Amino acid sequence: MKRYWRNREARGNLILTLLMVLLSAVFVLPLFWTAVFATHTLQEVFQFPPPLWFGDQIAVNYSRIEAVFPPFRPILNSLIVVLPKTIGLVLVSALAGYGLARYVGRPGHKFLLAMTFATLFFPPSLALIPFFLQMSWLGWLNTFWPLIVPAMASGFGVIWMYTYIGSAIPHELYEAAEMDNSGPLATFVFVVLPIIRPGLAALGVWTVISTWNDFQLPLVVLGDGTKFTVPLALTMLSRTHFSDTPAVMLATLIGLVPVFILFALLSRQFIAGLTSGAVK
Amino acid sequence: MRHRTNLMKGSGPLWLTMAPFLIIFVAFSLFPVLFSAWLGVHAWDGFSTPRFVGFDNYATALADPVFRKAVWNTIHVWFWSTLITCGLALVLAVLINEYAVFGRTYFRMVFLLPLLVAPAIAAIILRVLFSANGGLVNLMIGEITGTPTFFSWFDSEIWIKPLVVLLVIWRWTGWHMIIFLAGLQAIPRDIYEAARLEGVSRWSVFSRITLPLLAPALAFSIITATLGGLQMFDEPFVLTQGIGGTNHSATTLGMYLYATAFTQFDFGLGAAVSWYIFAAVVAMTLLYRRLSAGLGAAR
Repeated sequence: MKRYWRNREARGNLILTLLMVLLSAVFVLPLFWTAVFATHTLQEVFQFPPPLWFGDQIAVNYSRIEAVFPPFRPILNSLIVVLPKTIGLVLVSALAGYGLARYVGRPGHKFLLAMTFATLFFPPSLALIPFFLQMSWLGWLNTFWPLIVPAMASGFGVIWMYTYIGSAIPHELYEAAEMDNSGPLATFVFVVLPIIRPGLAALGVWTVISTWNDFQLPLVVLGDGTKFTVPLALTMLSRTHFSDTPAVMLATLIGLVPVFILFALLSRQFIAGLTSGAVK
Repeated sequence: MRHRTNLMKGSGPLWLTMAPFLIIFVAFSLFPVLFSAWLGVHAWDGFSTPRFVGFDNYATALADPVFRKAVWNTIHVWFWSTLITCGLALVLAVLINEYAVFGRTYFRMVFLLPLLVAPAIAAIILRVLFSANGGLVNLMIGEITGTPTFFSWFDSEIWIKPLVVLLVIWRWTGWHMIIFLAGLQAIPRDIYEAARLEGVSRWSVFSRITLPLLAPALAFSIITATLGGLQMFDEPFVLTQGIGGTNHSATTLGMYLYATAFTQFDFGLGAAVSWYIFAAVVAMTLLYRRLSAGLGAAR
């Protein structure tokens, strides 16, 4: 009886799996077409049926965007923002998360933990306008500073590190460190940091990708086109060259490559970073 | 003095480790938020002397038909995108977890790919595919109907919101799916085995076992989608090239806020709008907490 049920189930499961393969193809198609269109001429892109495989026009298309949109400038700008912000955010979050995980029950602990949780519900749009005014007073408009320094304090990062360190490091370890007369900061640097490397990587990848994709804040603080990060520069290009589909698609592709390489290398950490938020 | 040393031993290290976070947070998040409360009750363009106006900004926003339209648009886009994204992600997660014959790792990766694409860049790709002149969608419709089509999707008041929703679904389904998969994997397998031996139908297994045990993941998922949805900016901004569509048909609250502050330089009105958004976020979170607590109690 059980066996019969299983067999019918197997057939149904195969059909469901194939349907999912089909749906996954629909999800990938826009990206695939971006890559395909980037390698064809304008005429080829506008015909029906559309090209379904890569062409040989990539160099020609590149020569057209190179003059108006040197793609490596925005990529460099994005890196200037992403790298220091990510290193800072990960270290600041790890240190604060370590404090919250280690000093449970100390005066002020409850308040600090509750406050950090509360920051998660402060929508960034609430601070957008006053932040812009603050940056103009500091003389930071049209520089990369507003995108780097303020973003290092992330309630999400602290909570994520607090949860991670709480589960990865037993309290006995802190007691042992105390016996050795190791201070709070020395313990953090020499004991905690080496153990939580996977957690640092996960938060780091997530931060790199979300920062790479940021649009609104760079739009508000960066006025000068030469300072534009990748999404801003591409948005500009797509407006000025809207009729040159292959060029727009090629530039888009170039802007996507760094993130996709990172994902290919660190997808496991990235997924670990996503699910950590759900575990409270 | 003795009291002081005790205090240092008590919470000194805690504050020390929290210090970098707290300093940056107070300077660049707490201060702007408090400043925003002040801005909300003043009329100010950033140059002239600020003038105290009480709650005029809040009233001005409510009286503005564009603001009301933005509220409606935001609710519309948030509702449909959250419903479809979370629903589709839930179905996919259950299918992958319990029914997929092969390709579990493949599915996890592939549905996540669109999330790597910046909303602004995804909007560019969508603009190309739905372009009026020679866009793939129009070409396809032209081929099927036999008459060349030059329909202008992004100028259409009817189609612009579904396109924004489509963009959100494309980018976010994989993320929600991963969250649900993590939740599903935390459910012990023997519960399913027991139900199967008892001859419980698949639907009952899903609705009586899977769904209630998945409630925390669902809550997290929907709250996150709501926080993002109520502040949506990038997608409609790039899809409509910053203008919000014909007759503001895709102006969201986030775009309205941006326009008041950075094209009209009415910082007070913008701040008031941001507090409305904050109120909506808080209200939705509390409502959802209450609903899910109620569901938990009923179970």
